[in-house]
Parts: sequence; structure tokens; C-alpha cells
Amino acid sequence: MSKIAHRIFISILVVIVIVTLITLLYKGISYYKVGIEERFYHPDHSLLKPSGILGHGMGIIGSLFMIIGVSIYMVRKRYRLLSRLGLLKYWLEFHIFLCTLGPILILFHTAFKFGGLVAISFWSMVAVFLSGVIGRFIYIQIPRSIEGRELSLNEVREMKSDVADIVKKSYNLDEESYSILADSIKKKVELYHKYAIVRYIRKYFDDRKTIKTVKASLKKNNLKKDEYKKILALVKNDIKLNRRIERLDTMQNLFKYWHVVHSPFALVMLIIMIIHVAVTIAFGYRWIF
Amino acid sequence: MHGKSGISFGVFLTLMLLFFNTTAQISPGDLSNPHSHLEGISNCTQCHVLGSKVASEKCLACHTEINLQKGYHSSTDVKGKQCFDCHNDHHGKNFQLIRLDVKTFNHNLTGFSLSIPHSKKECKDCHNAKSISDQKIKAKNYTYMGLNRECLSCHEDYHQKTLSSTCLNCHNPDAFKPATKFNHANAKFQLVGKHANVECLKCHKVDVKDGKRFQEFQGVAHTNCTNCHKDPHQNQFGQNCRQCHSEESFHAIKGKNFDHSKTNFNLVDKHLSVDCKSCHKTKLTDPIKHDRCTDCHTDYHNNQFVKNNISPDCSQCHSTKGFNLYTFTIEQHNIGPFPLLGAHAPVTCNQCHKKQEKWSFKDIGKNCKDCHTDYHNNQFSKNGVSPDCSQCHVVKGFNFVTYTIEQHNKSLFPLLGAHMATACNECHKKQEKWSFKDIGNNCKDCHTDIHQTYIPSKYYPNANCKICHNESQWEDVSFDHSKTNFKLTGAHLKRNCKECHFKKDVGGNEQQKFTGLPSNCSSCHTDNHFKQFEKNGITNCTECHSTDNWNDSKFDHNTAAFKLDGKHINVPCIKCHKPQQEGSQTYVKYKLKTFTCESCHS
Repeated sequence: MSKIAHRIFISILVVIVIVTLITLLYKGISYYKVGIEERFYHPDHSLLKPSGILGHGMGIIGSLFMIIGVSIYMVRKRYRLLSRLGLLKYWLEFHIFLCTLGPILILFHTAFKFGGLVAISFWSMVAVFLSGVIGRFIYIQIPRSIEGRELSLNEVREMKSDVADIVKKSYNLDEESYSILADSIKKKVELYHKYAIVRYIRKYFDDRKTIKTVKASLKKNNLKKDEYKKILALVKNDIKLNRRIERLDTMQNLFKYWHVVHSPFALVMLIIMIIHVAVTIAFGYRWIF
Repeated sequence: MHGKSGISFGVFLTLMLLFFNTTAQISPGDLSNPHSHLEGISNCTQCHVLGSKVASEKCLACHTEINLQKGYHSSTDVKGKQCFDCHNDHHGKNFQLIRLDVKTFNHNLTGFSLSIPHSKKECKDCHNAKSISDQKIKAKNYTYMGLNRECLSCHEDYHQKTLSSTCLNCHNPDAFKPATKFNHANAKFQLVGKHANVECLKCHKVDVKDGKRFQEFQGVAHTNCTNCHKDPHQNQFGQNCRQCHSEESFHAIKGKNFDHSKTNFNLVDKHLSVDCKSCHKTKLTDPIKHDRCTDCHTDYHNNQFVKNNISPDCSQCHSTKGFNLYTFTIEQHNIGPFPLLGAHAPVTCNQCHKKQEKWSFKDIGKNCKDCHTDYHNNQFSKNGVSPDCSQCHVVKGFNFVTYTIEQHNKSLFPLLGAHMATACNECHKKQEKWSFKDIGNNCKDCHTDIHQTYIPSKYYPNANCKICHNESQWEDVSFDHSKTNFKLTGAHLKRNCKECHFKKDVGGNEQQKFTGLPSNCSSCHTDNHFKQFEKNGITNCTECHSTDNWNDSKFDHNTAAFKLDGKHINVPCIKCHKPQQEGSQTYVKYKLKTFTCESCHS
């Protein structure tokens, strides 16, 4: 898949999610705003209630989305037989899509009424979703091969090119600018704080400040716009690599722990969901079937 | 799953289950308070049927008060629906299982249409525990069920069980009062006549019974009128009011039935047909005066007969047979100031007493002109005053006149001569009407002047007939003929005028002639001598005759051609003058042609 095709693919997925979310909100906002004890008398109740034709449908389809999203990603990841079937990155993106759209549908299936046993499933789903978002953040912090395999620290360091050298050879910069640029891509020791999150935030703002300084110095050299962008991208990438190299160990550890959280939530969600579906079917609620 | 993951899953699941208290949490939500006793996983199948949602049969198994054969649940609005379509649950403890939009709810669907007063009520005014007899339904906090359609299930029995409990037999659902559906004709007492307009309260009294306002409709006595009505006659005429009165009106008495002779005033003649109210202005039993007719009747004559402040009773002249049938006689009239005599006797009363619209008996006058019009149109008026008709006329008749010739002779035209014998109308009724004034004193005013064109006016100026004629004898003419050219002498003085002045024409009609008459004798007299003495066509009679006497002849024979002498003097004339036959006439021949002797003597 080319870069453009990938972008279109991602865009379509995002649009589907956003359109679905807006449509469902627009359609049901008046109903969902009504208190639980009043909903029965709302004209959209028969449509949007959890057992309604739309509400129930959203539950079923949302559940299927999630089951499919989890299953195919798990299968693709765990079975070597399928390892050549598309990039794992795309599968992950599709997994994220289905497991984003699924919970949205489930959210509207609940009609924002969270109670009973199935609430465990719901909140587990929420937890899985949120942990998925966090996992995604951690995931991208760990450099990977083009197939998605994690790179070791050495492999990452090898990826680093001598940006200062490239810039000096290719572009005509004054000494001051070059000095600033060379300084910005040097590895910096993070300011200590006992909480990692504070450290990361400080580092984030510090990097921004560095990039700002680089931008200012580059502008003095009257570079072409294209040149300016390229140099800046090199600098940013180097800073990012620096940051990832620095945090690689931490992120790899975090990612291990993340799995411990993400999967059990998904399992709980699945088990309770099965119970919920079983009870529903037992009491005769079969949607359109 | 890794070992760590398995442990964390177990811990997490346990925590979640504890956190959500899931022992009874496959329920989709709390049951409403009325169903709260059904909470819990063990109670699901109390309502739900495995494999087929909620079954209405399960609902109805509990809710036995629901009758699908009557009321709202039997209506088309509900038929075909499941209970949970309307009465859902699991929507929270305070969820309203029943919610009606009372403003739009069609109460007709319940089989009980809301009348106007009912529709103005609040639901809870009827749908309350007080009105529900079923104890099970009554126990519910709030329900629309359990009401009986009987009015008395909600309404208090105003009649306190004295009448049927089927209120709608009499009352309209739209208004308790009046009881429009009640038909008194179905009651034991039919409302006839005025009874139909009587307010119910008049007979059905309002009282207090058991401490509550109560109107009596049952057991109201109605056998006698006096059960309700007060007897104004105080039993004078018995208890059977209907003998005289009817239901149409107390005052409209059945005249046929009431015996007025029981009273002091027996009704006869015209009084029998008079409406009671005409005399009995107030109540029939109120005493009314009846000694005098004027106690009831107004005095038509307006006290015209009052004498010494006392008016005679009408009965002196009128009777009960009719006001116009009076009993006043001519004899009674003759006692009065104007006795009816002569032609007055047959005159009808109204001719004198009803000259205007109303009858009048007083001060109508006694003079003729008070009643009669002046036929003579004031011809006898002097100084503006006309003498009374009685000066000439009598009551016997208008044509009977008492005016005498003597009275006439005192007038401007005394009647003399033949005028005395002339009938009045000859002079006074020359036209259609009698005329007494300005009819003229001259003869010609009455008589025709026959000489008008025959005698010159100089002989009777101003056509004054009296110059020749007099009133005694028309024929006795006294004209001085010497005024004319022909003075009358001798025998002429003795002749009637007509002999010379009136001659019959060829047709035998008498024609007068006073002028142009010739003065010679032959113009009047016949020539008996057959023109023997005519000279030059004229015979002068006076040569021999005078007007005194025809025979006394002035003839002197000696002056004739043959002088008489001797014996001839004594010879009779006829000896010589022999009669001659001329046609049918004979005459004496005096003119002899020869005087020889032998012509006479043989």
C-alpha cells in the first residue's frame, strides 16, 4: 500500500467513525437526554431502546465489530502462517478502527444506561478502549521494523544518521545556525523528576523550545521553503529518535505491563458480553432473527 | 495468556463483580415500585417467559382486576396489544407504569363517555379509593380502575334510596338538574293543565332527612286537590274541586257545573254567559256587591238619570235579557217632560236619543229644531231668529199646516179674490221644494203674461196685470179702450174683449190680436147685405147703422133713389125688398135696379 493509499484508507476509517458518532448522536440526542424513568414515553423509545430495532442492532453489530477486530488482529499476530498477509501495522489500524467503532455502537446500544451485570462488560470495554489508546501511544514510542517487529536499542541507534554532517554538506548555513542545529540534535539528559509523566511533559516542552530555536536560526539563512522544511524534518526526526532511544527501555517495560491490563479487560468484556447475550436470547430478544 | 495476565484477570473480574454487586444484576434496570417485590434473579420468570419476552398472560395472572371484556382494556385502542406495550418496566423505581395524557385521553374508549360536567372534573375526583368498591383495587395507591358505572358509586344518593338507583332514567348526564329525562306521565300523578308549569318544589317539598337536604318525590299525597292546594272556599262547595275548576286554570271555572243559584245572586239570561272573572275580579269567593246593576256594570248613561243625587237602577229600563232590550214604554215617556204625541209616537228612540255615537237622554232639547232640521232653511228667520216650527206645523205630521189665510193676509201678500182659493203649493212650491221667501209680489211672479207679445207695454207698464185684470175674476177686464184709436161705444161696450181680439185660426186655435186691427165694421162684422152698399170696395155701415143697435137704422129712404111717399110710406119693406137666394144664403135685396111700378105691382 502506497503512502497515499494508506492515508486514504486511514481517512476513510476515521470518517466512518466520526460520521457514525455524529449521526447516532444527532439521531438520538433528544432520547438520550431524557431521564431513565421518562424514556419509555419518548417517541423514539421503541427504536433506540437497547432492545429496540436500532438499539439492539447497534449492540449486535458493535459486539461483532469488536470480536472481529480482536480476533483477526490476534490471529494475524500470533500465527506465522498469516504473517505475510499484509503489514501488521495495517492490521493494527483496522483492529483499532473496529474496536473504536464497536464500542461507539455499544455505547449507543446501552442508551447511556449503565447498570447490572452487563455494566461490567461495558466498563471493561471502556477500559480496553482507553488502554488501547494508551497502548497505541506506547506502541509508537517503540521503533519497529517495517513488518512491525520491535527494534533493539542498537538497531535504533544505527538508524540515526549524522544530521549535522548532512546539513553541512548539502545546505549552506552560517556557523551560528549550524552550531544551533548541531546542539539541538545532541542527546540531552532529561530533567529529573520522580514521576515519569512530569519528566515527559518537561521534555516535550524542552524539545519544542529547541525546535523553535532551530526554526528561528534557519529563517536567518534565507533558505528556500523546500530546504527549510527538509532541514527541519531532519532535525525533528533526530530529536524524536533521541527521545525514543532515551525512553526505549522504559517503553518496552511499559508495553509488557500494558498487555497485562489490556487483554484481561478484553476477556472480561467478552465473557460478560456472552452472558449478556445468552440471557438476552434466553428471554426471547432476538433482534431481527 | 501469560501467568501475570491470568492473575490480573482473576483479580479484576472478582473486583468488578464485587463492585457491581452483580448477584442480581442481569436485570436491565430497577423495577418500578409497584413491582419492586419482583426484584431479583429468581423472579425473572414471574413475568418473563424464557424464549418469548414478557407474556401478557403472566401479567394477567397477577392483575386479575384487569377485565379484557369491558372497560378501556376491551377497547380497540388496547386490543391486540401486549401489556408491556403500555405498561413497561425496568425503567427505575419511580417509573410510572401508567401514564395517561389526561388532556387527550379519549374516555369514550372506557365505555363511559364523559358528559360535560364529568369532563370538567379532575381524574382523581372520580378515580379515587373512595369510589372503588373492590378492596384489592382500592388497596392500590393509584389506579384508574375499579370504578362502577352506576352513578351512585361516585355520587351521593340525593333521594336517600326513596327512588330507583338508576339515576339516568330521570337525569341527564350533562346536568343533574333539571331531571330532563323524567316523564311525569309515567308517575302515578299525571301533570295536566297548569300542573305542567308548576315548579317541582311546589309539590315536592324540600326537607332535611338524616341531616341532609332531601326533596320528597315518593309518597306525595295526590288523591285530593287539597293535598296541595288550599281550599279558598273553606269547604263551602265541598271537596271535589274539579266540579267547578279544571287543571287548566283555577280561575277558569267550569260554568256548567257550578250552581250559581246556591249563591244570593241567581244567574239568568245574559248573566249566564258572562265569564266569572267579569264580576269576580279577585277571588271567586270574595264577596261582591250585586244589589245594583252598577255594582258590576258601568253606567252607560253617565248619571244622566240622576235625580237628587240618586241614580235609578238600570233595571227600571233594561232587563237581563240584554242591554238593548229595554222596558221603558211610551207611557213612561209621556209622563216625562216630552210626551210622545202624533208622529212622535212611532219614532224610534235612537232618532232623538242617539244623534251622536252615544245615547243621550238629558238636555237634548224640546224644540222641534233640536231634533228636526229646518226644512225651510231659515226662510222665516227674522233678526236671526227662526220661529218654532209649531207656529205652522203640528206633531201630527209635517204636512199638517196650521197657518191660516188670515195669518197670510197679515203678510206682505194678503190673499184676495181668487188667491184665497188657490192652493199653497201653487205659489210656494213652484219648484221641488217649498219656498216662502222672496218669491215675488207681482202677478207675473206666479202667472204667465199671455199678452206679452200682443199688447204693447204702454197699455200695462211693468207687465202689471192689474191695469186690466183683478184678483177676483180674470175675465172681468177693466181696460180703458178709449186710450186706443177705437173708442168703444154702444153695443161694443157690452162685448167681450175676446169677441174682437181673439179669433180662431184655420186650425181652430184661438189666436189673440190686439194690435193692427182695422177699425172698419167689416173687419169684425159680416156684411149681411152682400156688398149691396159697397162704394169703392168699402161698405160704410155707419151710414145706416149705429153701435147702439143694429136695427135702429139711421137710413132715410127719402135720401135714396126712390123716395117714399104716399102709400109707399106704410108699405112693409119686404113688399118691395124681397129676399134673394144666393147659393145657400139668403139676403134682402135693397138695391133695386128698376123703379117702375109694374116691377112691383102687377
